[in-house]
Amino acid sequence: MERAVSDRPKISSWRQFSAILRKDIVAELRTFEMITSMGLYILLTLVVYYLAISQASGEFDVREISAGLLWLAFIFTSLLGLNRSLVHEKDQGVLEAILLSPIDRPVLFAAKAVGNFIFIGIVELLSLPLFYLFILQGKPIEGPWYLLIPPLLLGTIGIAGVGTLLATMSVNTKGRDVILAVMFVPIMFPLLYAAVAATSAVIAPGPEGMGPYLPAMAIAAVYDGIMLLGAYSLYEFIVCA
Amino acid sequence: MTDKQSMRVSPNWLVFSLLGASAVLLLVDFVLAFFVAPLQPGAQVYMNGQPVSALINGVAISNQLLFSQKIFYFHVPIAIGSFLIFTFAMVYSVLFLLRRDKVYDTRARIGMEVTLVLVLLTLITGDLWTRHDWGAWWVWEPRLTTYFILFLLVVSYFVLRGAVEDEERKATYAAVFGIVAWVDVPISFVITRLVPSGVHPVVLRSGGIEFIQLLPFLLGLVGMVCFSWVLYQLRLREEFARERVEVLKTELEG
Repeated sequence: MERAVSDRPKISSWRQFSAILRKDIVAELRTFEMITSMGLYILLTLVVYYLAISQASGEFDVREISAGLLWLAFIFTSLLGLNRSLVHEKDQGVLEAILLSPIDRPVLFAAKAVGNFIFIGIVELLSLPLFYLFILQGKPIEGPWYLLIPPLLLGTIGIAGVGTLLATMSVNTKGRDVILAVMFVPIMFPLLYAAVAATSAVIAPGPEGMGPYLPAMAIAAVYDGIMLLGAYSLYEFIVCA
Repeated sequence: MTDKQSMRVSPNWLVFSLLGASAVLLLVDFVLAFFVAPLQPGAQVYMNGQPVSALINGVAISNQLLFSQKIFYFHVPIAIGSFLIFTFAMVYSVLFLLRRDKVYDTRARIGMEVTLVLVLLTLITGDLWTRHDWGAWWVWEPRLTTYFILFLLVVSYFVLRGAVEDEERKATYAAVFGIVAWVDVPISFVITRLVPSGVHPVVLRSGGIEFIQLLPFLLGLVGMVCFSWVLYQLRLREEFARERVEVLKTELEG
């Protein structure tokens, strides 16, 4: 009997990973729940931004604060999505079922984080044209547009990675989404700061031009590296507690 | 269950003699800072390698002697103390995850409580300084911002603890969050070395300070670290005693 167990070929990490990721994508494709709720939320955020901007004077150039506005919308929208992505797992007992199966805990983290990265990324991409239309209102982006891709990528990686760890904790607490926000925003602060600085350097470069861009990207990359490594190794403790 | 080794608290004579020592050290720090240490001219900031005077209300201060600088001898030791004790609590969080002993969780929690006290003291003393020197209650400056984030993280550590019901889960979540939150400590510490700021000069790089200024500072630092350790030990005793009462209660009832 013992021999039979040990002789059985181990399911490769890649198959475990793709199975969980496929499950998340299929579940999302059936309902589109995360993408629609996040998309609507970000649209509403942009509408509320209009309230603030509508009171500004004619000389006010919205580009100077638009990077901050953009990331504010992203961070609160992803809070919503991260919470959703684990509430279902918890309420329907999916997480327990997954834990019963012989899946490595770090693989589970990677799959959930990549799933969240894809969903948050899709919503961000969908919202960018809307942001350009509603908030920038046709004002040109000063720098080359493709330089927006690295901050978006690094920012979203960090949001999805750290967010998955924190959402797995908050889903087992009494105040769920409130607790997630209370933990998530301060932890993400350095990354957000770097992402906003880099995005701002592209949209509306200040007197220093593109100077802050590379240091901000370096900070974001280091932060992502440390935090993902930490989240990856600590996830096991969280999910088994 | 809990093994006796990790429940051990430091002996009374050590805790109370350190309490006395920290009182003496802080008193000497106070006397030296106010009556002996010379006034310090305002800070210089290095921008692009060139020394530039820091500005207060638009006035260059590098050639003015500032009395308000005296709070340096208290504010900085408390701030360094808060970094140290947070690190101490983080180490116990790691130990809890490795050894799964509830005592380490208690130690980490008490460490975080002392951290919160020191962080609040740092914010208050720093705010007095800010208000006096720049006429503003708050300035968004790199060190202030990252330190304020540190304060929020310590608060959310306790919010998280309050929101989890299961004891073991609470301890695990708190340990993981404590470790992740600790990352802000090195960030807050090195930020003034990365981003030049007139508010928080890197003292040792901008020419250092005289011995008679360094002495009260170091006394204050040692005194503050001793004092926070004493606070930690006293709270820990209280906590262990409370836990023993709980155990006795359930034994009596059952």
